[in-house]
Amino acid sequence: MALYIVEADCISCGDCLPVCPTDSITEGAIVFKIDKKSCTECEGDFDIPQCVKVCPIDNCILPLEA
Amino acid sequence: MSSQDILLRDLALRIGLAARALPDTDAKRLFTVLTDCVSLPITEDKIGSINLKTLKTAQAGEFSNIDDALLKKALHILKHSIETGDIQKPDIDNYIEGDMPGSVRIACASNDAINIDGHFGSCSQFLIYQVSAEETRLIDIRSTNSLDGLDREDKNKYRAELIQDCQVIYMASVGGPAAAKIVKLGIHPMKLSGTEAITDIIDQLQTVISGTPPPWLAKVMGIDAINRFRFEREATG
Repeated sequence: MALYIVEADCISCGDCLPVCPTDSITEGAIVFKIDKKSCTECEGDFDIPQCVKVCPIDNCILPLEA
Repeated sequence: MSSQDILLRDLALRIGLAARALPDTDAKRLFTVLTDCVSLPITEDKIGSINLKTLKTAQAGEFSNIDDALLKKALHILKHSIETGDIQKPDIDNYIEGDMPGSVRIACASNDAINIDGHFGSCSQFLIYQVSAEETRLIDIRSTNSLDGLDREDKNKYRAELIQDCQVIYMASVGGPAAAKIVKLGIHPMKLSGTEAITDIIDQLQTVISGTPPPWLAKVMGIDAINRFRFEREATG
């Protein structure tokens, strides 16, 4: 389980980067991206994914299909 | 206080502005001279009858040492209502939908029609530009005057709706709830760090469009996914 950032919607504001408890978010060549290997969807740390909470764009960070 | 003593708000404001145009003059000093010119109460009609000579000789020549050009400027401010002031409206270019493929429509919150100097909730107008890599057209100027009287909540919503055909709005400042209303209408808010010239911002935008626009911008410009993918390959490759 992991989240991903919809490239076409991300505005590269960077708000998600500091709130990730597992440091899974980095700035990619185009937009920010989430490392699917380390993303836990904040399980064990928070009730809801923190990046989704702070992201100013609706439906920009979504769960990766398994 | 009788109704005669009450200066019209607009007139009072003009007296203040005119005083500022004169050296070492506050509104009180100008007011004293004007009172000597026309006697109380000061009305719109009486102000209209004042000429340069009256102004210069009134109150035992209080303003006799001031340069004629400055006095003329002060008189101009006194006699012309603020709405129709000196600001010259730029010409609007013709634009038909589809004229400029690969372009983006932007709104600029402005008071002086030259700079992006407006707060989203209080600027007097939005200048609407259609911008492509090669070309820029000013396609509309939308005044916000008609919004007076609406309550605060409604006002920002109405302002956002006024520009909802635009993809991006540039402004000098914007509040959080207003920004949310802008985003909700699918407009991308861009808050500048201060006042900037509209031409500078458009130059920057054109540089971005002609280079590798970020995916969200490519999306609102209608560049399809295949081409966007090409951009990505170029950027990462």
